[in-house]
Amino acid sequence: MEDQSQNTAPGGTQSAQLRNVDHSPRESRALAVGVAGWLLPGLGHALQFMWGRAAVVFLSVGLLVGAGASMKGNVFTRQGNDAFDTLGYIADLGTGSFYLFARAIETSGADVSHADGDYGTRLLATAGVLNLLAALHAYEAARGHKA
Amino acid sequence: MTAVPPLELTHFQAFLLFAVVISVAFGFLGRRRPPDRVKYILWSLFLFLLVGIGIGWAMFPFSR
Repeated sequence: MEDQSQNTAPGGTQSAQLRNVDHSPRESRALAVGVAGWLLPGLGHALQFMWGRAAVVFLSVGLLVGAGASMKGNVFTRQGNDAFDTLGYIADLGTGSFYLFARAIETSGADVSHADGDYGTRLLATAGVLNLLAALHAYEAARGHKA
Repeated sequence: MTAVPPLELTHFQAFLLFAVVISVAFGFLGRRRPPDRVKYILWSLFLFLLVGIGIGWAMFPFSR
């Protein structure tokens, strides 16, 4: 029977284990960067000194949330009536701390009886999904993947 | 907090706001070199406008 070790590179298993050990702190840091990017849009990139991307993510998400809430879009809460409300809540939560900002500036509640309110709802959801994408991007960049 | 004055935009203005913001964000996240970013932003914006206006025109016969 052929020796299995002949099919692997010299020290292959050991080096793979070492790689995992070496990457562990990096993984934890990457995860922290991703969570930071979710909580405060742009922070994940700022922690990696990607200032341009950090500024653009912060301003884009902030502008979309500000516009969406000012247009009286629906800021979903936990008390949803159906699956679409739950999905909207998840999307809105994607904005991280800006969700609270949206709730704070939309004091008089949503008004989706007009097109403006409907657009506002979409802009808020877009802001959340965009921020999740940016946080994932920051996470991948922190892991050392091409970004 | 004081209530923010409501923002009233036309359909096209809201669509343009969405397209510009998303195109810029995608350009910065997706490309590294500034010339590549500018090209990506312009191309993405053009496609957003083309598809959005195209769908709008396609729906026009069913709107009344």
